[in-house]
Amino acid sequence: MAASWRLQRLPSASPGIAFAARAAAIVLALTFAGIVLALTGANPLELGYEVIDASFGSSFGLEDLGVLVIPLILTGLSVAVAQQIGAWNIGAEGQFYAGAFCAAAVGLFLPWPPAVILPLMFVAGIFGGAAWILIPTLARAYGNVNELITTLLLNFVAILLVFYVSTNAWRDRQANSATRRLSAEIPEFWGSIHWGLPIAIIVALAIAALLAFSRWGYEVRLVGSNPSAAKYAGMPVRRHLITVMLLSGAIAGLAGTLEIAGTVHRLQGGISNNYGYLGIMVAVLARSSAVGVIFSAALMAFILNSGIILQTQGLTTSAVLAITGLILFLTAIGDELAHYRLARDKA
Amino acid sequence: MDLLTGLFTTAFLAGGVLALAALGEVLAERVGVVNLGVEGLMALGALTAIATVASFPSPTVGFLAALAVGALFGMLFAFATVILRANQVLCGLALTLMGNGIASTIGRAYSGMPARAVFEGIEVPLLSHIPIFGKAFFSQNILVYLIYIILPVALSIIMFRTRHGLNLRAVGENPAAADAAGIPVGLIRFAYVTAGSALAAGAGAYLTLAFVPSWSDGVVAGRGWIAVALVIFAGYRPIPAVLSGLLFGFITAIGFVGQARGWPVAPAFLSMLPYLGTMAFIIVPVLAWQRMRRIMAAPAAIGMPYYRDVR
Repeated sequence: MAASWRLQRLPSASPGIAFAARAAAIVLALTFAGIVLALTGANPLELGYEVIDASFGSSFGLEDLGVLVIPLILTGLSVAVAQQIGAWNIGAEGQFYAGAFCAAAVGLFLPWPPAVILPLMFVAGIFGGAAWILIPTLARAYGNVNELITTLLLNFVAILLVFYVSTNAWRDRQANSATRRLSAEIPEFWGSIHWGLPIAIIVALAIAALLAFSRWGYEVRLVGSNPSAAKYAGMPVRRHLITVMLLSGAIAGLAGTLEIAGTVHRLQGGISNNYGYLGIMVAVLARSSAVGVIFSAALMAFILNSGIILQTQGLTTSAVLAITGLILFLTAIGDELAHYRLARDKA
Repeated sequence: MDLLTGLFTTAFLAGGVLALAALGEVLAERVGVVNLGVEGLMALGALTAIATVASFPSPTVGFLAALAVGALFGMLFAFATVILRANQVLCGLALTLMGNGIASTIGRAYSGMPARAVFEGIEVPLLSHIPIFGKAFFSQNILVYLIYIILPVALSIIMFRTRHGLNLRAVGENPAAADAAGIPVGLIRFAYVTAGSALAAGAGAYLTLAFVPSWSDGVVAGRGWIAVALVIFAGYRPIPAVLSGLLFGFITAIGFVGQARGWPVAPAFLSMLPYLGTMAFIIVPVLAWQRMRRIMAAPAAIGMPYYRDVR
């Protein structure tokens, strides 16, 4: 008797297949982008060579990548940490702005020496990010209000706030829409790459270690995968939710702090290159693993940098956003398809 | 025009964008699919409309073109989430990124361009002479009547007074039971997600053909997300969805009036009102009245893909 084949859906996808699905999604999306470019009359291979040469062919290119990857590691980490407990923080963009805003307030208006100001900027930025997610956190914890929407709505408020202060009260007389240079800055160690890079990597590794090896991390992961089981086992589900979401906001606030203290050196509208939204992408590609975030952030930095390089060719960062969306879309499909396998029925 | 008439006129006009997008989202969520791509669909619709009327100056054609583009992207989303059953949140976010990205990239050629044809106001005889309210509501463009009267009433009747409506709500509440009763779960989900996406893009077209009316990068400005939030606030019902759209039209109108009259509040802070208002309206009721949670409950199977063999 002939055995018959059928599709079987497994409860969880194997990591190897999920990884392959992600790689396939990225290749497909970039191929598709290349085809669209070719249709508009450009030569995608030539542009591809130009991108690779400009990114890796000189120390300037590598410096650009190194500077771009810092906020992406942290916003990706912010989204990934919230995902560990089953929360969607789509507001990393707003928390980034809030962190930058608070850090800038310290850097602009406190009259102390840089050695005192810099640590204070970190504290202020971290608190700013956490404060910006406080209301969505409490609403989710006590009213089960969808945090995805509330965190997102606050993005618009934060962007308007930063735009307002940098064009009005805090505006520098010489500039149209930026503050004066901050009094303290994070030193650089290789070209334009500053110490924010090791800080971001250390934060990601520390959180990965906490999640993997501490009791807190174990409980958080359990609450994330099965809240009712965690509650039944006597774990403080609500308290964990609140701390993890505040931590998520704090990390995004740190990203904003590093960006203005290390890279931009002043507060201005549009300081975030959509870092908060790209952070969602970074977290999803890393399957919310804190270590994986470092690598997917590097990949996103390369994609974002390619968009910036190609601006001279008439591309924009919006085109990067569209390609990122396509990668995310294909990844979501690939993740689902990775659950299936061909099973053989014994006849 | 006195203050009240101006306030009401702007409120109806501004609320129409949110009301139409929220109606579209009600359709998708009622059959159990969360579509977080509204923001991107609106951007696509807004651009399609402005680009269409640029070469074919008829607002109706521009609006229909936007509906078609919305339906097309809606089918893409429905294919991924309903047929392949991929994660709805991820696909929705992806749709928003794609929609915003594509619209801004193509839209650079149309940046700052006013619409070459717009929906003009139509004075309804007699009714438009009623003081304040009549002037404000009955001299609006045709879409306003469609959004505030025809669509919500029709959708409400279909949803709550017909057998088909019972079926579509069953698909959102308990797809396994619906499937067992012989209702085509996949087909109904696919159709309503597509229709809802078309309405979302239509809301974008309304923005550039009736409300703003011009294209600029970021013209949607989070209205899609506000619409998604309004659906929760409205308890997933068409008529409350439209009324809450109107409520937010008022909040927007207050900001406009404030700017026009030179209130001593910076425009940036007045622009924050709709976002903060939305936050307040989805948080406060749930925290204040425990009963609201039951009344405003979401369809039970919302956000969950349906697998026939995994019951």
